[in-house]
Amino acid sequence: MIRMFHVFKIFPNKIHALWDVNIHIKKGEFVFLVGPTGAGKTTFLKLVYRGTLPSKGQVIVDGVNLSRLKPTLIPYLRREIGVVFQDFKLLYDRNVFENVAFSLRVVGTKNSTIKQEVNDILNLMGLSNKKNANPHLLSGGEQQKLCIARAVVSHPLILLTDEPTGNLDPETSWEIMKLLFKINIRGTTVIVASHDKLMVDRAQKRVIRIEQGEIMSDTQKGFYKK
Amino acid sequence: MLRNILFYIKEAFLSTKKNGIMSLATMISLTAALIIVGMFLLISFNINLFMDNIESELLAIAYLKDNLSEEEIKQLVQDTTELEGVKEVKYISKEDAFQKLKEDLTEHEEILAGIPENPLPSSIEILVTETTYLQEIAFQLNQYGGIEEVNYGGQLTEKLIALFDFIRKTGLAMIFILVFIATLIMFSVIKISVHSRQQEIEIMSLVGATSWFIRWPFIIEGFLKGFLSSILSAFILIRTYFYYLDKIKIILPFIPILSDHVVLFKITLIIVLLGTLIGIFGSMFSLRKISYEEI
Repeated sequence: MIRMFHVFKIFPNKIHALWDVNIHIKKGEFVFLVGPTGAGKTTFLKLVYRGTLPSKGQVIVDGVNLSRLKPTLIPYLRREIGVVFQDFKLLYDRNVFENVAFSLRVVGTKNSTIKQEVNDILNLMGLSNKKNANPHLLSGGEQQKLCIARAVVSHPLILLTDEPTGNLDPETSWEIMKLLFKINIRGTTVIVASHDKLMVDRAQKRVIRIEQGEIMSDTQKGFYKK
Repeated sequence: MLRNILFYIKEAFLSTKKNGIMSLATMISLTAALIIVGMFLLISFNINLFMDNIESELLAIAYLKDNLSEEEIKQLVQDTTELEGVKEVKYISKEDAFQKLKEDLTEHEEILAGIPENPLPSSIEILVTETTYLQEIAFQLNQYGGIEEVNYGGQLTEKLIALFDFIRKTGLAMIFILVFIATLIMFSVIKISVHSRQQEIEIMSLVGATSWFIRWPFIIEGFLKGFLSSILSAFILIRTYFYYLDKIKIILPFIPILSDHVVLFKITLIIVLLGTLIGIFGSMFSLRKISYEEI
């Protein structure tokens, strides 16, 4: 599903975010991307959803070489990838339902389908009873669930989450993880960038460790630190 | 398609509402700019009308003494026609002159009410080929005994034509400058609107909206602001114009003033079209590039 061949990402200020990264993530996998802040996790995710291009090397997502992807085709790649950020990026002038529906509306989905899909996903996330509420009124955990709902409502092939449990207490964090497992079981490839040691150790999934832009380890059923 | 259009319109309204004060300020500035553009258009159209009138009247009028015989008048017309630079000579009898005055003053008949008999002299109107001949022709005519007085525009006409030409050109330059400024205003406002909706744009581009899908609501927002401002300015302009038109007609009934509804409709159309285009292009310039990177 995702392949990286000798990927380098060097910023104009000569700081290298990624250094010779080679990786293969198969369809339906659940992968943790761990490492300290500034290790290159976010850049890794950006490369996957074509938020940036590698300075050198190739990134292939679902058979498409992203360096050769025409800018006009980027939206169609993005429709196959859900992204969740630590800072939520919610629309606070719309209610919960509309926040989720927004990502279907902008790809021209029919209203009846939108209603069905949004209700289904809000149900899965346990947010059905809050669908008319403003996101401001939701707790941190609920806002994160809303972000996940928005990212997966269109059934993407890949879900990328950047520090999804960054601001949450351990219990809520685990709840979020369980939701991500559920989404993974439905067939979506999930990548979680995290430095939440507790969560990573408890999940027992594949762990790719990045430090200073380089892959230090890649273990199935791994732990935060070997 | 229709579903998308409804989405664009809804988002455009949402954005206008979100930046309420800013939207209002833009529309006021745009309305003001368009009113000034409209004013220059009206001035320009009126000058054209006036110039058409004075240019077609490169005219000297020789007023005849009342005691001339028909034979003498005939001879006078004949002699005048032969002068250099004369294009056409037309004899206007006392009765014709009075009739014409009556027609000109149909709306102000009270002026004529107190006049017991025709006070106007008969005259000959001499249309010349160029203003430069006017002085010489007037001089020649004054040599005839049967002529009371010769009137002609001459230098004044030339100076007026030059002045109006200058006003027209300045007006055109002002229109260009104002349209440019108005486009800049629209450009900046939509930029601010884009900035204030950065989150939506980011999310749209993240979930796979095409760049045109992202642009359309802003273009519609620009269109709406431009269209509404232009309608408002056209309304204010035309209403004010008609208000003053009536007043000027009373004060200066002899000056030709544009009141042709077809021409005024054309001016309204120009303003509305201009305002709408400013709105659309201002938005498009501020959205030239929707970046999918570094989100």
